[in-house]
Amino acid sequence: MRALCWEGVGRLAVRDVPEPTIRSGGDIIVRVRASSVCGSDLHLINGYLPAMREGDILGHEFMGEVVETGPDVQRIKVGDRVVVGSVVACGGCWYCRTEQYSLCDNSNPQPVFTEKLWGHSPAGILGYSHAAGGYSGSHAEYIRVPFGDVGAFTVPAGVPDDSVVFASDAMPTGWMAADFCGLKGGEVVAVWGAGGVGQMAARSAQILGAERVIVIDRLPERLATAAQRLGVETINYAETDVLEALRELTAGRGPDACIEAVGMESHDVGPTYTYDRAKQTARLQTDRPTSVRQAIMACRKGGTVSIVGVYGGLVDKFPLGAAMNKALVLRMGQMHAQRYIPMLLDRIAIGEIDPGYLATHPMSLEQGARGYEIFQKKEEGCLRTVLHPQAA
Amino acid sequence: MSSSNATRWALAGAATVTVLGVGRVLARRRRRHQPDRVDGWYVVHRGITVDRPVDAVIGFWTDRERLDRGLAEWATLEQLGDNRWRCVASDPAGGGTEWRAEITVDGPGRLSWRVTDGPVAQQGRVELAPAPQDRGTEIRAELRWRSGPVRRALGLAGGGDPDIALRSGLRRIKSLIETGQVLDTRHDPSGRSPKQEQATDRVREKLMAGGRP
Repeated sequence: MRALCWEGVGRLAVRDVPEPTIRSGGDIIVRVRASSVCGSDLHLINGYLPAMREGDILGHEFMGEVVETGPDVQRIKVGDRVVVGSVVACGGCWYCRTEQYSLCDNSNPQPVFTEKLWGHSPAGILGYSHAAGGYSGSHAEYIRVPFGDVGAFTVPAGVPDDSVVFASDAMPTGWMAADFCGLKGGEVVAVWGAGGVGQMAARSAQILGAERVIVIDRLPERLATAAQRLGVETINYAETDVLEALRELTAGRGPDACIEAVGMESHDVGPTYTYDRAKQTARLQTDRPTSVRQAIMACRKGGTVSIVGVYGGLVDKFPLGAAMNKALVLRMGQMHAQRYIPMLLDRIAIGEIDPGYLATHPMSLEQGARGYEIFQKKEEGCLRTVLHPQAA
Repeated sequence: MSSSNATRWALAGAATVTVLGVGRVLARRRRRHQPDRVDGWYVVHRGITVDRPVDAVIGFWTDRERLDRGLAEWATLEQLGDNRWRCVASDPAGGGTEWRAEITVDGPGRLSWRVTDGPVAQQGRVELAPAPQDRGTEIRAELRWRSGPVRRALGLAGGGDPDIALRSGLRRIKSLIETGQVLDTRHDPSGRSPKQEQATDRVREKLMAGGRP
């Protein structure tokens, strides 16, 4: 079969690779129909999360059709049209039992790397390097999904592939970000990042009761899309002092909750950003925490900062003093896909959330490398490139 | 001239101090990572928490069919007598390591074993205890092994493998009890040549071996 493989830092190519086979009783094989690029892939492609091996298949946000099931699979049937959570969860450990699926004890067969790096190993993630288990990804014609009964969910008829594909990762991540905020109704929520996750977080915050949502980015077209699709207020940080603007918009209080949906390759303007970028390039820090710093500084006293942008290692100048003295609540984590996906599918089915507009660039697998380039450089108003491995 | 000499001396001094310092830190780290020594045995204690009641964990051990199915890819067990067992562990390269052991049940949720014939003199015991807060069962294991006299004289634990094997084993057992399977991504498709795949498998081995417990 054909698959989009990582060939070294910044290099992707389509290769002919063997088809996956059932390896364990709980496995299913999915014929991939839509597989989205994700901002977190960029950290892998660009070598910031250094656990990729040449030839690894990328992709973790996908949907498709089940073509084979292992002997222990009961809920999922061959022929089902399914969306699959990108986080692998066993369904049998304490973390899964308590719906903290991204912390699953048994789904990363190669836990030593993250145990050394982070103290413990969280769940494995499909197509997300050898730190996250070494699973083959979804930018391929077929993919093996372990624990299919736990991770795959049948999709309501009538919802297009390019819409439901985001129920795999961007939507649950955005939802969890808003869920972390503990909204009771009437809050002001600021969201850093107007990409797929940021926009889904903004929509989720609205559904969960936020009265005003303010989205921050530097790309006018993304901000315009967010304003038009979701009815949010926007701040362009390239033109406006964000902290000043947020203080003004909230009559001095600051947002009740700040969601960070950017991650370790965050951008900004000014000398601090240049400094961060230089340190990261020299590997003196692994992550650029620009937007996290801003979120902490902006958040109202006693408010919540919710981090769903991906970070991998160490950061400098983390404003711990601000967080401590303002008594902030910091929540963060990889999303618990399996907890949220069924509920999100219901919301898509009734039209409460329609993520389809994120798929600005449908492409074939062969166009994958270019698809990532457009996505990374934010050319052509790209929000998400969605690959269609079955297309020639 | 003299000031530049002084600078050089100062630098050399600083470098020496740094190197000595680093050496000391490394030595200390290394000692900390050495297993304890008791009566000529190396001793490690490892534990893991399984999200099942004690009875279910015991049930797993005594359900021979399930145990065999779970171990199939890693080892075969054969009962030779009342408490005598033969075990052949298969390593990924296809080779096998064989040993014979006596396994004794010491009480409810307690057993011990002694390798009677194998590559490393080894004995150990396992104790099951209910974990607090409805967290299931704590499997606590103690493993003792001996290594050769030369290695011992040099103060190297050597045969560090028994500890790694114990940790990998505990993780595998936990996964078998909680999910009925042990995941493995070694045969997942990739765009690698056979040679690159071999190199990647060696990395995988390192990332799979041992681990936290």
